[in-house]
Amino acid sequence: MVIKAHPVSKGKAEGEAVVYEGPFAFLGDLNPVTGKISLPRHKLEGMSLAGKVFVFTTGKGSSGCDMAAWAAKKNGNAPAAIICLQSEPVLSGAVITTGIPTVDNPEKNIFDFIQTGDYVKVDGTAGLIEIVKK
Amino acid sequence: MLLSKEERRMIGGELGPGIQRAMKLLVELGESFDAERLVPVSYAHIAYDFCPEEFWNLMTEGVHPTRHRVTTHPSYSPEIWAEWGLPLADRWIGEHERKLKKFKELGWLRTETCAEYLLGIFPRKGDVVPMGGSCMQVANNSLFGAKVDRMGILISLAAAVCGRTPLMGLLLPENRDASYLFDVSELDMADWTTSHYHCLGYYIGDQVPGFKPVAVNGIRPNLPFDLARALVISMPTSGAVTLAHIVGTTPEAPTLESALGNKKPDHVIKVGKTEMKKTWERLNVWDNDIVEHVAFGCPHATIDEIGRIAVLLDGKKIMTSMLIGASASVEALARRQGWADIIEKAGGHFLPTCPSIGNPFTRADISGDRRAKSAATNSARSAHYLASVSGAKVFFGTEEDCVNAAVKGKWGGRIPKW
Repeated sequence: MVIKAHPVSKGKAEGEAVVYEGPFAFLGDLNPVTGKISLPRHKLEGMSLAGKVFVFTTGKGSSGCDMAAWAAKKNGNAPAAIICLQSEPVLSGAVITTGIPTVDNPEKNIFDFIQTGDYVKVDGTAGLIEIVKK
Repeated sequence: MLLSKEERRMIGGELGPGIQRAMKLLVELGESFDAERLVPVSYAHIAYDFCPEEFWNLMTEGVHPTRHRVTTHPSYSPEIWAEWGLPLADRWIGEHERKLKKFKELGWLRTETCAEYLLGIFPRKGDVVPMGGSCMQVANNSLFGAKVDRMGILISLAAAVCGRTPLMGLLLPENRDASYLFDVSELDMADWTTSHYHCLGYYIGDQVPGFKPVAVNGIRPNLPFDLARALVISMPTSGAVTLAHIVGTTPEAPTLESALGNKKPDHVIKVGKTEMKKTWERLNVWDNDIVEHVAFGCPHATIDEIGRIAVLLDGKKIMTSMLIGASASVEALARRQGWADIIEKAGGHFLPTCPSIGNPFTRADISGDRRAKSAATNSARSAHYLASVSGAKVFFGTEEDCVNAAVKGKWGGRIPKW
């Protein structure tokens, strides 16, 4: 199935989905050296985002998020693509500077359609999400 | 996006490759938020030591000294780290020196602080100031009424080299009205320290999805600057709040109606003792009471804060390492007062670094096997990042709790009785 969305950062990527119904900060939530969620007591603590299509609500946290995203990308530990409900300038800046294909404002409630483990394709240029059920 | 003739020359590469790349990023970011155009900056603020060297070189290639002022966020001091014997200090020297050389060539100011307003460099109401550093973004927006949008450190460098920023978000007056109202009138704030305000701000930031402005109502008018700063500063750590109107204190909120833009708020949230207690507990991430490090100065310490720490430390010796993040200017004033010497004699250190994200004592990639594995702090921001970025066990408490922990090497702080 294909869902339309608003383009944030250009490019195409695909991978297994990791779904989190909350906000995300590249700095502090993700360890750029391991690619895993590192915030103590986070629901996904210990889970790897490397090469995944990460689905969450919106961005949060420090303006150092783009620097952390850059480090994660250089280490091969960044998500392959991002889908969120609504982006914000720090998150958008992070995915644009590091080249992570990203869309926001999907036309349907994305949490009803994507589950962790589903295979998902993201086209950040055209603003399209394609879900291939597992 | 509509670009001026000059901006078309910039994006066309006529002013060099750095400005061209930076303009492309600003335009892509602006277009993703439907910004109509770019606007000139009043001044800009960057973070050269936090910026990856590859990105720094891409943005600054071929850039000449700018006509607009550019200042900078806290810096690294790898030569001092090496003097202190931190095992991996040397590996940071080369990159730091290369970026600093270019920074100086550009004629930019070495303010090296996240609290530039303490140096007399602060925006007037309405000034457009793109910047890296969410703590100064929220302070400049909220406490001075500047137009500062949420922005990352890398994008802020792009804005600084171009002297432009997209007209979007909090630059637009219609986006500055609070839609979330926090009623804190139930709380008895008579004995509150900066730590209590940090805790409240950390709770508030966590309640707001996205970066919608908030209003905080129920606080005595004309809240002192240090306390108002403590309240707003941790909001973009737990969340993304970048503009907080404190009714009766901040310039855009003389009244509740003005903070809300004469509209009804979308959400009203009451904050009581339970929320404060839970947040204070959440900021404490530790299993035994051994404290190896104490971090002050997130955001960079004011002269009054340093004075209070000096009084508490006078004549004592500390068992932990201690870092006070402060600008060189505030440290110089503390030295004239005799306070810096008292603190250093006790065993404390000053650096113009970020004591949370750039703390050489807790960062494994600087201190190696000498890394402090536990740290106490009076800042919610610092507690969050010492735990999540450095993986330290964290004790959150008041200034006094932290000084006592430094002297004893053990945590004796208690959760306040709300």
